[in-house]
Amino acid sequence: MFKLNLKIAWRNLWKNKVYAAINIGGLALGLTAFVLMLLYINHEESYDSWTPDLENVFQIREKHDFFTPDNKEHWQEATDSRMASLVRENIPQAVAVTKVDQDWEWSAGYSVKVDGADPILVKQIKDADSSFFSVFNYQFLHGSAEAALSTPKSIVVKESIALKLFGTDKVLGKTVKLLIWRSDPGQMFTITGVVKEPKTPQSVSFNAIIRTGEQDHDPENISNRHFCQVYAKMNGPMDSTALNKTLQSVYVNFKKAAFAKEKRNYKDIYKNGNTPGLSALKISDVHANPTLKLSWKDKLKPIVGISIFLLLVSVINFVNLATAQSVQRAKEVGVKKILGSYKGQLLTQFLLESAMQSMVSLFLCVVLVEMVLPAFNQNFNVSLSFWYNPQLFIMIVQLLTLFVLVTLLAGFYPSWILSNYNPVSVLKGNYENGLKGIALRNILVVFQFVISVTFIIAIGVMYQQTKYVSNKDLGFEKGNLVNIKSNYEEKFAERLRTVPGVKYIATSTQVMGNVFNTPEVITYKENKIPVNSVTVTMDALQALGVQVMQGRLFSKDYKQDTANSVVINASAAKLIDKNPVGKTYDLLRDDRKYTFQIVGVIKDYHNEGFDKAVMPTIYKVTHLGGMSTTNNMLVRLDAANSGEIIKKIEAEWRFLYPDYPMTYTSMNDAFDKILEDNNRFVNMIVLFSLVSVSLSLLGLFALSTFVAKRRTREIAVRKVLGASNIQIVNLLNKSFLILVVVANLISWPIAYILIKKWLDGFAYRIDMPVIPFLLATLVSIVIAVLTVSIQARKAAVTDPVNALKYE
Amino acid sequence: MIELKNIEKYYSNKGVKNYVLRHVSTTIKKGEFVSIMGPSGAGKSTLLNILGMLEEPTYGTYEFLGEDVTTLNERKRIELYRNHIGFVFQAYHLIDEMTVYENIEAPLLYKKIGGSERTSRIANLLDRFNIVAKKDLFPNQLSGGQQQLVGIARALAAQPSVILADEPTGNLQSAQAEEIMQLFQKLNQEDGITIIQVTHSEKNATYGNRILHIADGVIKDDVQLTGAKAI
Ligand SMILES: Nc1ncnc2c1ncn2[C@@H]1O[C@H](COP(=O)(O)OP(=O)(O)OP(=O)(O)O)[C@@H](O)[C@H]1O
Ligand SMILES: [Mg+2]
Repeated sequence: MFKLNLKIAWRNLWKNKVYAAINIGGLALGLTAFVLMLLYINHEESYDSWTPDLENVFQIREKHDFFTPDNKEHWQEATDSRMASLVRENIPQAVAVTKVDQDWEWSAGYSVKVDGADPILVKQIKDADSSFFSVFNYQFLHGSAEAALSTPKSIVVKESIALKLFGTDKVLGKTVKLLIWRSDPGQMFTITGVVKEPKTPQSVSFNAIIRTGEQDHDPENISNRHFCQVYAKMNGPMDSTALNKTLQSVYVNFKKAAFAKEKRNYKDIYKNGNTPGLSALKISDVHANPTLKLSWKDKLKPIVGISIFLLLVSVINFVNLATAQSVQRAKEVGVKKILGSYKGQLLTQFLLESAMQSMVSLFLCVVLVEMVLPAFNQNFNVSLSFWYNPQLFIMIVQLLTLFVLVTLLAGFYPSWILSNYNPVSVLKGNYENGLKGIALRNILVVFQFVISVTFIIAIGVMYQQTKYVSNKDLGFEKGNLVNIKSNYEEKFAERLRTVPGVKYIATSTQVMGNVFNTPEVITYKENKIPVNSVTVTMDALQALGVQVMQGRLFSKDYKQDTANSVVINASAAKLIDKNPVGKTYDLLRDDRKYTFQIVGVIKDYHNEGFDKAVMPTIYKVTHLGGMSTTNNMLVRLDAANSGEIIKKIEAEWRFLYPDYPMTYTSMNDAFDKILEDNNRFVNMIVLFSLVSVSLSLLGLFALSTFVAKRRTREIAVRKVLGASNIQIVNLLNKSFLILVVVANLISWPIAYILIKKWLDGFAYRIDMPVIPFLLATLVSIVIAVLTVSIQARKAAVTDPVNALKYE
Repeated sequence: MIELKNIEKYYSNKGVKNYVLRHVSTTIKKGEFVSIMGPSGAGKSTLLNILGMLEEPTYGTYEFLGEDVTTLNERKRIELYRNHIGFVFQAYHLIDEMTVYENIEAPLLYKKIGGSERTSRIANLLDRFNIVAKKDLFPNQLSGGQQQLVGIARALAAQPSVILADEPTGNLQSAQAEEIMQLFQKLNQEDGITIIQVTHSEKNATYGNRILHIADGVIKDDVQLTGAKAI
């Protein structure tokens, strides 16, 4: 029977090849989006799963307010370095505890110099103490975990880095010179180990682990306290609730003792809602729970939603076409039943048929995934692969599960309907049962169109917002402006000023791409006003090309500018005074009062994404009341041949700092990078919308064909009775049109809510536009009518005699 | 073999019972060839469907091979289809996606008959009905009469004890109809298969040995024919 059923299935597919192609192709598309997402999720889920040992490794997190963007207390991965010994001494199960540098995203990395070769920059060289490889069980190709970091000035490299530096992995005993910044004299390190890249990504990722000796002591003095990440390995699996309870009480005691020593009151410090906190997180959970930023799960949520919807759209096509086709199969069911087929046998037969189709879709999907992976990888900045995936087995299990799920989802309802046909009514030629699926089919078509219309509206609004954002005046001139990753140094700046074509050399703690905000509270006319303070050099604002609204910018001509002058931006002026030029305010710091005079107001300029509002900011040249420096060196170039000028700048750099390569970004690139995330999201929505809309239309096309076909006899009779072609086209259109209109009505509020949420993420945004809503409705109706009409016309113009002859 | 007692069948329409069959009681013995006749709407098809267990009577008892089938579960009923009952329809009802050969094979597959036995049985039937040359054609490539031959071959494949036929020649020309009737008679007389057919044609009825006349859901007349037509 199985073989015969297979043959029938094939013949049916062949007979309805266009629909089968729509079904299978559509499902393959839906599956592809879903599988890509699965690949991505698997990749993210696989973090820190490369050895079973990691089950017992915990990351220690401390609650504190250092390094936080809002100056408030948060759980953080960077802890006071003393936490390591605290854990070691108080948790008896901890067999090894290690301290290691955190990732410094702003850093260009270490310059690595091998004898006789040009220096190269290597990121993620991390300083650790001697226990690093006791906690993280890396596989050593050369050297050993026990000995590798036992003496200071040793370095353990990943295999890839050894190959990059020396062209071989047999590098034990060789020395390299490391420089952390350009004028660092550098230190020599001896390679004591080469480790293999693990199978899965790591949250504590590194290119090399060094032991400088920095991590060996824990300064107690509050001003040079040392922050790092702490990881502990336990002697066996451990319940984290119990562990956290112990850590918390140990920490509170530690803090109390420490404050007593500093003669500070414990209660005073934790009075304004702050609480002390120390906890441990399983390392397998670390990647999914980053501190101070959105986790990949949160970022992926909208995309997961979208790809599930896409899959649903294609599954719905499947269900709709199958239920529509079921009329064709009714007789087969009736006859088989009276020939002695069990209902279960029929159900299996039809399920197998949909399984066959989803199997083909799955194969197509795998091919498609292979084809689009390179583009996907590029867009998402990952390197996923299907066949060479270390989790291929898991992938295949997931695919099979997906296959079963889709088959059941797509095949069960139609199969159920079919196998339930009552033989008597079918054989009497009474197909009324075939109409049973109609209500569901209508609901599904509406659902499909709700998704599509929502997508179309979203595209419209996103297009307008994106256009608004990319045309928005930034408040500074981003062209011909580069930012060298380096601290401002007068010696270098002087040399650069002699390069023809260089207009300004300056620095600011606030440059797009590397912003360091220092919050402070000023007192103006008895009012306390929180502002953001930025330290700049004399001509930084000119270099940026900001627009002056009142007063003036800093200038060498005014002596007071290096003493106590400040320039404020428009947002700050709003808080301080409408006409602030000439006014003074006070800043209290360390029990001293500093007075500043406002000399100018500039227009707000953007240095972060449009999701963030420009902060009320005070710019100062003076070191009065504290200052900070960051790795920014702004160079404003002449418009012409900027490439040439940069080459000359690089030559100057090499002359001064031969051991450390120069890195820089242009402000145009920095701006693009800021828009990148958002553009990527918008592009994806556009792509998914196109696919979803075309799938829905293909579905509608096929469905209307079927309906037209099923109603051939009715149409013929009506024609014989004198109906015109137009009347018949309208007849078929009406039923679908109602569905599309209903879908539009439903999708308006849904789209409104979703898009409002998206728009609310922008500090600078357009008002909710009406046009995309109207346009989406118009487009969906026009396209639906066109699609149906093509089929309806075909049915209408056929000769009624033909239709009536057979029946 | 078949025993109907007080079979009633009605459809309720807005609380009003529309009777299709009333007080139908009769016995059909093994080896009989019964024709059911009567005006249109009399309830002939309904009666045949009840005999074929495709419909349930609203009242009464029906025993098939000594077993009460009104309370039979689905699995048991399907067993009866597989082993004892063959259906022949006015509209043939062959499966369009199957070839002639496959249509005949289908009931044997449900009955789980072994490969070689299956091949020989099908070959036999094809041979007997003179349709060997058509075995790889699909139903829509055959004439009506040929389709009905395949329909009968299919009904016979599982070697049933009863064949139920609802106007088997209703769509055929008289020459073809005659051929089919002769075939029925032969099956009845040579193979001892019980045949129950619904027909509008007096002539067709004469091939059998008993006629049940039905009007308004009631058996009006039960005629035994003697001296059946010679083959
Ligand atoms: N599902 C139903 N609901 C209501 N009435 C029905 C239904 N099915 C059949 N009937 C009625 O039952 C009666 C008998 O129908 P049946 O098909 O048995 O007639 P018939 O004798 O076979 O007629 P014909 O010679 O035209 O085939 C008819 O009056 C018909 O209207
Ligand atoms: Mg009838």
